[in-house]
Amino acid sequence: MFGLAMRSLRKRAGAFGASFLSMFLGATILMAFASMLDTATGDGVTGTARETLVTMASVVGGWGLILVVFAVTSTLTLSVRQRAAEMALLKSVGATPAQIGRMIVGEAAGVAVAAGLLAIVPAALAGRGIVGLLHDTGQVPADVPHAFGPIAVSMGLGITFVSATAAALITARRAARVRVAESMADAAAEKTRLSRKRIAGGALCLLLATYAAVLTCTLMKGKGTDAMASAGQADIAAAIGFAFLAPAIIRGVTALLAAPLRAFGAAGDLAVTTLRRRTGAMSAAVTPIILFTGTAVGTLYLQATENAATDAAGLSKTADQKGVETLNLVVIGMVVVFTAIMLVNTLLAATAHRRREFAQARLTGATPGQVLGTVALESAVLTVIGVACGTVASVFTIVPFGIARMDSPTPDGSVWIFIGVVALAVVLTGATTLGSARRAVRVPAVEAVAA
Amino acid sequence: MLGRKAARPAGDAGGEALRLEGVRRVYGPEGNQVVALDGVSLSLPVGSFTAVMGPSGSGKSTLLQCAAGLDRPTAGRVFVDGAELAGGSEAALTKFRRQRIGFVFQQFNLLPTLTVMQNVTLPLKLAGRKVDRRRAQEVLERVGLGDRLDHLPSELSGGQQQRVAIARALVTEPRVVFGDEPTGALDTRSARAVLALLQEAVRVYGQTVVMVTHDPVAAAHADAVLYLADGRIVGYQQAPTAETVAERMTHLADEVERQRITAGV
Repeated sequence: MFGLAMRSLRKRAGAFGASFLSMFLGATILMAFASMLDTATGDGVTGTARETLVTMASVVGGWGLILVVFAVTSTLTLSVRQRAAEMALLKSVGATPAQIGRMIVGEAAGVAVAAGLLAIVPAALAGRGIVGLLHDTGQVPADVPHAFGPIAVSMGLGITFVSATAAALITARRAARVRVAESMADAAAEKTRLSRKRIAGGALCLLLATYAAVLTCTLMKGKGTDAMASAGQADIAAAIGFAFLAPAIIRGVTALLAAPLRAFGAAGDLAVTTLRRRTGAMSAAVTPIILFTGTAVGTLYLQATENAATDAAGLSKTADQKGVETLNLVVIGMVVVFTAIMLVNTLLAATAHRRREFAQARLTGATPGQVLGTVALESAVLTVIGVACGTVASVFTIVPFGIARMDSPTPDGSVWIFIGVVALAVVLTGATTLGSARRAVRVPAVEAVAA
Repeated sequence: MLGRKAARPAGDAGGEALRLEGVRRVYGPEGNQVVALDGVSLSLPVGSFTAVMGPSGSGKSTLLQCAAGLDRPTAGRVFVDGAELAGGSEAALTKFRRQRIGFVFQQFNLLPTLTVMQNVTLPLKLAGRKVDRRRAQEVLERVGLGDRLDHLPSELSGGQQQRVAIARALVTEPRVVFGDEPTGALDTRSARAVLALLQEAVRVYGQTVVMVTHDPVAAAHADAVLYLADGRIVGYQQAPTAETVAERMTHLADEVERQRITAGV
């Protein structure tokens, strides 16, 4: 089975592109921040400099870890779901569930090792950049050199490998549990109920987010910049919580929007049934939109409020505050790029997977325009859901921080920040989905059905 | 050459349902071309049930796809119900098909997310026509699935799925129904039911059916059989039986060879 795993990796490298990219980026981020620990153990690193480095590695690295696990699980789940028919075929020729599990885990492990090793060089460069930033802002003395050593490499490779394998195990368990006849059918229809695990995960993350929000506006009130630490985590936790609950949210919103969508004729009708019956795949697509909007809006307004608070106090920014601002922007940049790539990848994979379905609709009498119309309506609904959930998630950060710093729940900063983030989400989602759908309908329908 | 002219005199009121004039279809890049159809001409009258037979690679499926507007011929013309199947965009071809053509595939090709009823009414919705649920239900009852309206395709057997596909093809009342190995994925009993439904469409409702198959038993349900080899029509047989069709298929290669010699190729 390990041989089969390596074979499918070699012959179909493209199919693992999304997983590879999220592991590669994840490993880069993890190693870059883990190298702060290497730097901290260097000779002559003491006091606040040491503390800054360790804090940064653990806080940012910790959130990076969660994002990585989340991204890897979602891309792997998608790629396994796309291969449901292949799994069913393997079972029908005599593969046991354990063998299929080993194949899935083997593939993920193989991808993780390659991604981790390739990430070493970019991670070293990124780590140097971060330390350079800390030098510039005076948080770390200029004579402390950046070190990229055993901690970075072992943590980066280890965590990437372990999280990828763990994600694969979860996915494989799910894939292997289904029986042959069932999984043949499963290739077509999926269960739409919200699993207990999703409810538990969602509730836990929302509780964490609420805790962080309450903490920010009570204990952290009046503690100045320190409130950022707890506030900044609230939106990420809330966004992940909403992502867990996405299937239920999608079903609810679809029920609400069914009537107006149907006004668009056959395309609207098809969009409604897809949203309703494919909530699993649709949730995978909406997840990165929620994460993207939630973290970007939350952190950008957090920084805007912080700036306003400093101005209000009539102080000019200290080097320290400038450092925090730059760092905040770097972290947002990192998270935004990460979720944007995850968003594009997920949507590309999801749409390419539907090539056969599109062809079937065309053979039934749908023009390419009608197929694209359906896809456009679906992605519009997903964007609305993603942006709405992300915005609500960002409130968990913005409002408590506003109360803590300015005694006002409304954030500072221009409304254009929000509009900009939403526009970016809309453009990324729309362009990716329509672009890949357009490519899918360019293949003659008869060929696409046979494939 | 055999099969060049009308398959059957257009006796009934309807006239001609399908006509192909010198249809050629060439695949592949310059220098490495494969001729799938080599100048096929035929004419099928309204209300006829024709089976197209031939060995693998004889061009059966290509013939069907060109005739049904799913593929574009390299040369030649196709007329369905008197109207020429024009080139142009896929959207234009789709609209042409919607009004005149129904299609039944070997792999059913039902939309997995739609229920039986939704699958059957989909062509009407896509065409912007009024969705007459009563009529859709009638057609589904005709194929014996009146009690399965809210099932998903994955909850049905292969035979049932193919009957849904037939209902979907018939609901728009097309002039010509094409079947590409419609019984190819079915057991004998389901296959017989499907063939009986196609026969009924012809005998009772006056539709025209063209069906590609390589099963002599399936071909025997048709009124006539067209034999295809190497992209050409090489034979034609009326009132086929499973035995005569099997016999003819067995000797098709020899026959083609003989024809070649007489033609002096």
